[in-house]
Amino acid sequence: MPKLMIDGREIEVPKGTRVIEAAKRLGIEIPYYCYHPGLTVAGNCRMCLVEIEKMPRLQIACHMEAQDGMVVRTDTEKIRQTRKHVLEFLLSNHPVDCPVCDQAGECWLQDYYMKHGLYASRLAEDKIKKHKAVVLGPTVILDSERCILCSRCVRFTDEISKTHELGIVNRGDHSEITIDPNRALENAYSGNVVDVCPVGALTDRDFRFKIRAWYLSSGNSVCSGCARGCNIQVQYNLDRPHHGKGARVMRVKPCFNADINQWWICDEGRYGYKFHDQNRILQPVSRSGQTAREVAWEGVLSEVAQKLGGSREKIGIFVSPQLTNEELFLIRGFFKEGLKCPNLFLLSPKSEGRQDDFLIRADKNPNSKGAELLGFPYDPKAISTFASKCSLGAVDGVIVFGQDLLSLKNTSLDKSVLEKLKWSVFIGSNHNATSDRASVVLPSATYVEKEGSFTNFEGRIQRFKKVLEPLAGSRTEFEILRALSGLLKIAFRYQTTEDVFTHLQAHEKPFQGLPCVQIGMGGTDIRVLAEPVIPAIEQKGDIL
Amino acid sequence: MSTPIFTPEIKTKADAIVGRYTTRRAAMLEILRLLAEAHGHITLETEKAVADYLQVPAIDVREVMTFYTLFHKTPKAKRRFCVCRSLSCALQGGEDILKYLEQKLGIKAGEKTGDGAFSLEAVECLGACEMAPMMQVNDDEYVGPLTKEKIDELMK
Amino acid sequence: MEKLISKYFIPGKTLSVGDYVREGGYEAARGAFTRFDPPALIAEVSKANLRGLGGAGFPTGKKWSFVPQNTGKPVYLVVNVDEGEPGTFKDKYILRHAPHLLIEGIIIAAYANNIHTAYVYVRGEYTEPYRKLTQAIEEAREKNFLGKNIFGKGFDLDIVVHRGAGAYICGEETGLLESLEGKKGFPRLKPPFPAVSGVFGCPTVINNPETLSYLPFIISRGAEWFAKLGMERNGGMRLFSVSGHVKRPGVYELPMGTPLREIIYDHAGGIRDGKKLKAVVPGGLSAPILTAEEIDIKMDFDSLAAKGTMAGSGGVMVMDESTCMVHALHATMRFFAHESCGQCTPCREGTGWVNRILDRVMRGRGRKADIDNLIDIGSFIAGTTICALGDGASMAMMGYLKKFRPEFEAYIRDGKCDLKDGSVPHPVSV
Repeated sequence: MPKLMIDGREIEVPKGTRVIEAAKRLGIEIPYYCYHPGLTVAGNCRMCLVEIEKMPRLQIACHMEAQDGMVVRTDTEKIRQTRKHVLEFLLSNHPVDCPVCDQAGECWLQDYYMKHGLYASRLAEDKIKKHKAVVLGPTVILDSERCILCSRCVRFTDEISKTHELGIVNRGDHSEITIDPNRALENAYSGNVVDVCPVGALTDRDFRFKIRAWYLSSGNSVCSGCARGCNIQVQYNLDRPHHGKGARVMRVKPCFNADINQWWICDEGRYGYKFHDQNRILQPVSRSGQTAREVAWEGVLSEVAQKLGGSREKIGIFVSPQLTNEELFLIRGFFKEGLKCPNLFLLSPKSEGRQDDFLIRADKNPNSKGAELLGFPYDPKAISTFASKCSLGAVDGVIVFGQDLLSLKNTSLDKSVLEKLKWSVFIGSNHNATSDRASVVLPSATYVEKEGSFTNFEGRIQRFKKVLEPLAGSRTEFEILRALSGLLKIAFRYQTTEDVFTHLQAHEKPFQGLPCVQIGMGGTDIRVLAEPVIPAIEQKGDIL
Repeated sequence: MSTPIFTPEIKTKADAIVGRYTTRRAAMLEILRLLAEAHGHITLETEKAVADYLQVPAIDVREVMTFYTLFHKTPKAKRRFCVCRSLSCALQGGEDILKYLEQKLGIKAGEKTGDGAFSLEAVECLGACEMAPMMQVNDDEYVGPLTKEKIDELMK
Repeated sequence: MEKLISKYFIPGKTLSVGDYVREGGYEAARGAFTRFDPPALIAEVSKANLRGLGGAGFPTGKKWSFVPQNTGKPVYLVVNVDEGEPGTFKDKYILRHAPHLLIEGIIIAAYANNIHTAYVYVRGEYTEPYRKLTQAIEEAREKNFLGKNIFGKGFDLDIVVHRGAGAYICGEETGLLESLEGKKGFPRLKPPFPAVSGVFGCPTVINNPETLSYLPFIISRGAEWFAKLGMERNGGMRLFSVSGHVKRPGVYELPMGTPLREIIYDHAGGIRDGKKLKAVVPGGLSAPILTAEEIDIKMDFDSLAAKGTMAGSGGVMVMDESTCMVHALHATMRFFAHESCGQCTPCREGTGWVNRILDRVMRGRGRKADIDNLIDIGSFIAGTTICALGDGASMAMMGYLKKFRPEFEAYIRDGKCDLKDGSVPHPVSV
């Protein structure tokens, strides 16, 4: 393995490692634009030029492979001057739209200017005009003047999404990013080009003019859109409700995770965050006939406890693989072992969808595997079994966790069946047809409002922490089950969700020994994230 | 589409060209040239047909079309003057020649006369500095050294 | 002095295969198969001190020796007739008048390197040279100088002619390879070098047609003879393209190391209209300019490099006292800005910016700080780019600004050229 010196510090790296990656492992930051550990090397921005002993010319660190005995310097006066000039070149035609550009606050031109530039402009010429505010598709908008032609977006559409929509036309300083004139940027991963764009050339239409990046706080989590469990960073705004019409979650970015999603997420996961703030059930509801009233938790919990006190065989419980491992475990403990209810069903609230050979899984639930390991196999006949029991009068109440029994794609419950029941309790976060008819509605938290773990389709357990407080009157399933346990005098041994996880790891056979994956660190800024674990030399388009 | 872009005759020629290279894509420049010669100029539709024929993304053909200067994207004028403006021609009065042609034709460099009879372009070194100032006529003949009289003669 | 290649440059005449064979054409190639094995042939070419005559001057034998023969991939020859360096027009003559010389050179180079397919990349504007070349290739095929089992030596070789479409950067060797592969002419990052990974990912030799056209002479008359024609480490002769303010612009085949003064005054007839020489660009547009006081210099790669300029493509552009250096630099930088492929930051933005500054100066709105700014900008275009276009643009500009600074200062001060007043500021000799 080659051993080299960078700024006087020695490091040994696997053969094929680029100097920029070796430097990163030493914690030495070499600035760059066009380099991306997930894409092939382009070497066009020239920002990462470094001095290498015995080589007369400066070399780009993103392309130069570490050799044994190499001596690299990243911080000499010559390099500082070179970086300053490269920045000046990039800014010579840049429109400096900062006051109206969404990238402000997370723009690499701004950041590097403050770190490596700080020169007085000597530009006395007009800048070149190019196309601005070009809608490329439903998710992305292009501003060619802001573009620094690093070609990351082009390489993304060629190598990762493999959809080949984007290219660079013309020549010289009239070069521009453009899209195939007969197409729109409509692939399932289109939003990633906004992530890879270091400047405000490609921006998110969903996020456009919503809020300034520096007003955002963030927390890491795991996407609940499918069984892959891509790591995400949820970015939210609490202090300025006038931005984003009072919504808290402003956007979702992918988090790097070498094993699961690397640097990417699909558009469905990226833009499917609105339900955390829209259409939420805010307070418990009690409904008799057509009248529904908002009620207090204490009263309504007693009411539910009472219903559960009756005949256990006459209760149906529907859980979903959208629930966390901890919640499923507690539900099993409470309903199956505690109350000894026989009619416990697992149903997927979302039907199987499209799957591709990249990130998207057909199973649109984050925790099917976790549910399976906890003894909840998916039962396709659940609805029909329940419906027939209803018609026979064998069940008179149902508890539904989160899903809309009336609108399931392949196998939904008929309204009449629900209306025949004596009572129904809906425990979930968002309104749906079932919650609009249930006799009791208990608002619960979405996954960003609780801590827990999901087990993805490969059996990787991912633990995530709470990012936001449950909205308005909603409570976590953990709290609801603890309260009900108290009312029904069923043992509830856990103080926190973490206690539950510890128990699972120690005592649940299928969970023992499963890899507990550390969810991604670093969020959106690829300079902060990404252990460059795959040397660029080995990266081809088919990364996974 | 009235006439197909790849007529059987053109396809035969194109297949022969593709056969000379190791990859289909490598035939790109020659295929574009073939179609430009057959149809006069290259439209977006032609680009798509070339992309399909060579089995490459259409955006790659667009990139090539916009990068190189010799592909005609609009109908060609009947007589096309490409006047060199690089150093050796500039030293010998190439700029005056260009201005004279602009004046005579009533158009600026980069434009075409309204009737499509003439087009004028200022180009970079054509590799004929020994006959500076010079120009290329109809993408073929090199003419020089040019004088105002020679130009008058040419345009008769 | 005997002419080798240029003996065939007769206006309106193209050497046919019959005429060529009658005077011994293709005998050198035939002989190469019997007299040398490939390594010996490479050694012979090295001994001749033949250097790349496209511009870089890299020793040809050495370049050939870099080609790995054990990769399992075919080796290709690519002939670079993209002749785009302003001031250079000699390859046009080879194709137009002596294409068989080139074909014979291709055969020799192919045999030396185990090459069975050669691509000739001809710039798209060279329509007549293209026609002459393709015709000559047909003639050579008919005589079985190309095709299967040429000369009955069990060696297959054919030539594919590929036309460019108007881009100077396709004369850069890796830009050429990209264009040959059907893409934009974006130069590649090096390493890997073309010798190892060139066209279609295979080992590739890239040579200039003039370089190849000297091979038959080297083989038939000997490497030592060829080397002696020139200077130490710069063997043989070369075709100088002389243009500008001389009485007889044209192609002049002269020994390597011929003094520049001799080229201008003895061969090209001196300055037209009895004017005085002011400056000379000695090796194509990228070569740093020389003042009239600096023309007692030998025109070979090493001597010119020692003087801070370059032999380059042999394009000699002569400027007399009527030349405004600001105009000349403007035309120069406009070229580089127009031809920059746009891939890397310093060249794309830098050449464009320099061009716009000079535009502004030309229009009379120059500022005092402009000259120092241009020098500063130029010093960061050189040495930071993917390919040598950035270096060429920068070096060319520095030459003008350093050696003719007073003229630029005067232009900026007065907002126009001072030449008409006869008050030409004296150039600074550096």
